[in-house]
Amino acid sequence: MIFDGFMIAGTIVCAVSVLLGLWSTARHRFPTDASILSLAAVELFLVVYGIAAGVRQSGGETLVGAAWEFWGYLATAILVVLLAGWWGIGEKSRWSNLVMAAAGFTVFVMLFRMQQVWIGQGIF
Amino acid sequence: MDKQQPRGSRIASRVHGDPTALDAPAAESAQDRSPERKNRGLGRIIIAVYAVFALSALARSTFQLFTIFHEAPVAITLSMIAAAVYVVATISLARTGVRAWYVAMGAVIVELLGIIVVSVLSYADPQLFPKASVWSHFGQGYGYVPFALPFVGLWWLLTHRPRRGAAS
Repeated sequence: MIFDGFMIAGTIVCAVSVLLGLWSTARHRFPTDASILSLAAVELFLVVYGIAAGVRQSGGETLVGAAWEFWGYLATAILVVLLAGWWGIGEKSRWSNLVMAAAGFTVFVMLFRMQQVWIGQGIF
Repeated sequence: MDKQQPRGSRIASRVHGDPTALDAPAAESAQDRSPERKNRGLGRIIIAVYAVFALSALARSTFQLFTIFHEAPVAITLSMIAAAVYVVATISLARTGVRAWYVAMGAVIVELLGIIVVSVLSYADPQLFPKASVWSHFGQGYGYVPFALPFVGLWWLLTHRPRRGAAS
């Protein structure tokens, strides 16, 4: 099942980031602390997820898919968040928040794919 | 409704960005519709979406190229081309100047033609596409965003076109 503890935690973190980003887009003409901090939380989650994945995989857990596909997704997701932060704050406007919200959504999709590579297709 | 000088934005105000700092919010009416404003405002998010597609298409097609190329050579080759088009479009949309505008325009037109041709092909001859590519079936696997994206890009470029005789 894809929605294990990590996926649930990741979904919540990403959803909070998307919602705060959308709210900030509607309300403010500058990148808000809420957008930035919630995106930072997404990055923190990815790092924790990566460390946990490393521990679990070195402890003998096997993946359904290819390990390097999993790690490729994880590295790309971490990069997406960094790029979105840089690109979003580079111009301080309303749309900075939308860029960060889009990154949160992208990470959610990538997390879903990582879970598929690890666990397989069954959602629940 | 908008708070001008933000109390709740301590982090962003410390980050050294561009001169359009927090105390001078960028004009949202886009009164200056020149290529120099192409990566501003709403353009930021359009470019960000292009970047996501560039990155994911590039990563995915490179992965497929080295693993399952023999299973779907046509689909994967077209995915590589799509990835290249997205990379060019992202960079040229993000850059300012007249030449970048023309490069972006070319990339977006190729993108539009690409998704139409590949989508029609994927319905007409499904055997060519045992593995979905970014552009097959009007970008179904990506929430049809790949089909909407070139229209958005085209609209954005046409509203930010270089004036006649403008120097690059």
